[in-house]
Amino acid sequence: MKRSETKPLGLYVHIPFCASKCAYCDFYSFASRDEDLQKHYVSALQLQMEDWASVCRGYAVDSVFIGGGTPTVLPPKLLHRVIDAVWRNFSLTDDVEITLEANPATVDLRGLRKLHRAGVTRLSMGLQSAHDRELSALGRTHTWAEFEQSFSDARDAGFDNINIDLMYGIPHQTEASFLKSLNVASLLGPEHLSVYGLKIEEGTPFHVSQDTLPLPDEDTEYSMYMQCVEYLASRGFEQYEISNFARPGFRCRHNLKYWSGGEYLGLGAAAHSDFDGERFAALRDVAVYIDGMELVGQGDTIWSERRAIPEDERMSEFVMLAMRLRDGVSRAEFTARFDADLDSYCGERLKAYIPDGFVTFDGDRYAFTTKGMYVSNYILSSALPFDYAEAEI
Amino acid sequence: MTERQSHIRNFSIIAHIDHGKSTLADRILEHTQAVAKRDVTEQMLDNMDLEKERGITIKARAVKLNYTAPDGQAYVLNLIDTPGHVDFNYEVSRSLNACEGALLIVDATQGIEAQTLGNAYLAVDANLEIVPVINKIDLPSADVDKVRGEIEDVIGIPAEDCPAVSAKMGLNIDRVLDKIVSDIPAPKGDEDAPLKCLIFDSYYDSYLGVVVYVRVMDGTVRSGDRIRLMAGGAEFDVVDVGTMEAFGLSKCAELRAGEVGYITASIKNVADTRVGDTITHADRPAAEPLPGFKNVVPMVYAGIYPADGARYGDLRDALEKLQLNDAALAFEPETSIALGFGFRCGFLGLLHMEIIEERLEREFNLDLITTAPSVIYEVKRRGGEVERIDNPSNYPSADEIEMAAEPIVKASIITPTDYVGGLMELCQDRRGTFIDMKYLDAERVELHYELPLNEIIYDFFDALKSRSKGYASLDYEFAEYRQSKLVKLDFLLNGEQVDALSFIVHEEKAYGRARRIAEKLKENIPRQLFEVPIQAAIGAKVIARETVKALRKDVLAKCYGGDITRKKKLLEKQKEGKKKMRQLGSVQVTPEAFMAVLKLDDQ
Repeated sequence: MKRSETKPLGLYVHIPFCASKCAYCDFYSFASRDEDLQKHYVSALQLQMEDWASVCRGYAVDSVFIGGGTPTVLPPKLLHRVIDAVWRNFSLTDDVEITLEANPATVDLRGLRKLHRAGVTRLSMGLQSAHDRELSALGRTHTWAEFEQSFSDARDAGFDNINIDLMYGIPHQTEASFLKSLNVASLLGPEHLSVYGLKIEEGTPFHVSQDTLPLPDEDTEYSMYMQCVEYLASRGFEQYEISNFARPGFRCRHNLKYWSGGEYLGLGAAAHSDFDGERFAALRDVAVYIDGMELVGQGDTIWSERRAIPEDERMSEFVMLAMRLRDGVSRAEFTARFDADLDSYCGERLKAYIPDGFVTFDGDRYAFTTKGMYVSNYILSSALPFDYAEAEI
Repeated sequence: MTERQSHIRNFSIIAHIDHGKSTLADRILEHTQAVAKRDVTEQMLDNMDLEKERGITIKARAVKLNYTAPDGQAYVLNLIDTPGHVDFNYEVSRSLNACEGALLIVDATQGIEAQTLGNAYLAVDANLEIVPVINKIDLPSADVDKVRGEIEDVIGIPAEDCPAVSAKMGLNIDRVLDKIVSDIPAPKGDEDAPLKCLIFDSYYDSYLGVVVYVRVMDGTVRSGDRIRLMAGGAEFDVVDVGTMEAFGLSKCAELRAGEVGYITASIKNVADTRVGDTITHADRPAAEPLPGFKNVVPMVYAGIYPADGARYGDLRDALEKLQLNDAALAFEPETSIALGFGFRCGFLGLLHMEIIEERLEREFNLDLITTAPSVIYEVKRRGGEVERIDNPSNYPSADEIEMAAEPIVKASIITPTDYVGGLMELCQDRRGTFIDMKYLDAERVELHYELPLNEIIYDFFDALKSRSKGYASLDYEFAEYRQSKLVKLDFLLNGEQVDALSFIVHEEKAYGRARRIAEKLKENIPRQLFEVPIQAAIGAKVIARETVKALRKDVLAKCYGGDITRKKKLLEKQKEGKKKMRQLGSVQVTPEAFMAVLKLDDQ
């Protein structure tokens, strides 16, 4: 098949295992060193990839993201089986970006070298804070010193595209301590930074104890965010999305797919896909997932949701996701994709937020300002129809 | 008295709320075999669901019972139920006038309460024979002797041999029936005199038209008769007359003096058949109507708006339907800048208002926004006429007013002595004028106050209950309009006045109310992208201020792993929430904000 006829595709591979579960995390993951379960899970992943291989013939995978959980808690042998299976079953582009999430102290220099050689091009490392007290309050099992070591190992292993995850609004954090975390993290010289505000999710230990958590107040949190954007800009990081910052040329290709309406296929338990007009997600249950893959004819039992997204709903999604990006949503792109006018769809309502400095419009693109991003849910829920039948198109 | 009349007894049951009126009525129905026991669902006379839930009778009902006394004599007992709430005092008095006697139910554990007394006085006014009945003797805390003493001392009627019953257990019901026959006088009235029927209730039926419940005082009425409503003046041809049996209407040839029954005459509108009016023959009218007719006028007004403006027409239809059966409900279209198109509705009182609201919401599936209730003020502008103002937003500014008056009620509160201090303080705080205080016995006191009605319609009843641990009871009746220093309190959100929030308050109370309402509004205004000042003002003078801080953070920082559905659902939900909000100028407000003035905590 000729290159020009293929469509781009992102692959997400979910590894739900962790060394220990952080107190704020509501992703589908759990602490497990049960090698037997891990082996079964990886086999199931291999089976799922084989199943999809034929469906994905017409697609060229230009981005792979192996996330979790903590993929690097898998024994190296198993992790490499996953990576090899990706290579074997899908057609990957020459410049494919393969990101691996890694937590400090779960990787060593030797392991990292092997991963680099296996084709991993990008590491995403969870730091969250540079202060050990804040780390332990989050339930993280590493220290700042261990992170520094892992980061330098990654560089030594040849990784030239590394992301660091940080958090603000976490227990014990002050403006000063957050800026210090930002400062030392950026001094390590990563290509990319993701800086997330803590959101207390139901079903997490933080949700249970939220009334007693020593959290910074809302004004402090707001100030942390504004300063973060400003500071990282001064260090040469462009804010290209609400929580993501990159040096020029290092935006995360995979996440951009989510925000720009690209197709992606999620593999593994709890993984989400948007593929061939349908959105679907696997159940948050490894046992169901393994059975579904291993037992003949059980393949469809793994889905928790699966449905085709109607065009009017796609429009709301498109704007909602594009508005996460600094560049915002383009009238021209909206028209090209939906054959509809963005202004009458929601642009006129977005314009109402321009005078107060929440939204900008350059004739083609509507975008949030930094302070607009911080209240983006409020504005989008006002400006977008969401009531799909009522959309004025 | 005719032989026929000597075998009729017309009676009502009166009681304080919760003293067991409806339960006793059910037992009487059972005992007279008007209904088989298994068919008594529960409180048969209360037809509406709402009445069952609240345990109060809203509308009068009547039923004819056949009873054979122990001596073998057959009697017709007409039981006319009465509404059990102070809002419906006039209806109660008309029902009582249709009777010769009343059973006064007193709870053996609670003794005499404010409405026991209020109702007893109404019965005395109507020259009724009062038959006290002590109920709930099955309860461990029942003290029959003490209650007997109370009835004799406080109401002044002998209670020595009054029946002590348990309506719930069906205990001693036969004693009550004996008493009805022995103590309540048979009706009088001349069957051949010009016709006089007292209307004590009416309702609209889509097949029959208005069904009018009457007590024939004099004369005889038959189908085909041409009748005239003496107060209303309208004339109709009688289609049917009959009696109210336990399971429905039953036609008969004629209704004669002393009897209770119904008349249908293809009447389209209940407003033509006002309770208390007299029906007579068109060709041989009575010289004068029965005394006591009053055109009931609403005492409390509130704006009712559909939450969804598109349902204005539905709301109008629903109000029209309710009005078919409720002549006391008044409404006319009203427009609010804040709330759009709606209706200013008049009610007999707060309970009446709540009932109408609930029925609109339940039976007609409407989402409503109701503004704070207001009484009617009489205002004389300088050099102008006296106007009656039922909507605070029409209240003139202070410098235009020569004189303003507000309705005053006479209130009676019965309370255990322990709470007298707190209740007097409450009445004082609500601008009450102390009239007197009577000891009913060593433990209970009856307080008399004159109170402005506008102090009662907010949260007085709740405050009364909370200050007396639920023991105090209240009864009141309209007394007069009295001159008062009233001011209009306006509220501004983000600098813009919201007409639907304005209300009238006494000058001296303005500051306190303004402050508390501003606080309440703050709780009902979600944070917006900008700071929202809330100001309370009299004219141009701001007297209270609160601020709703600007929304700083509303973002899903992490949108990760491709789970778009979750974020989308979050925004969809948020959108739903916003649809319920009312946009007041630039500010979004929860619908509850308009009732904020009602929910001030007692302080």
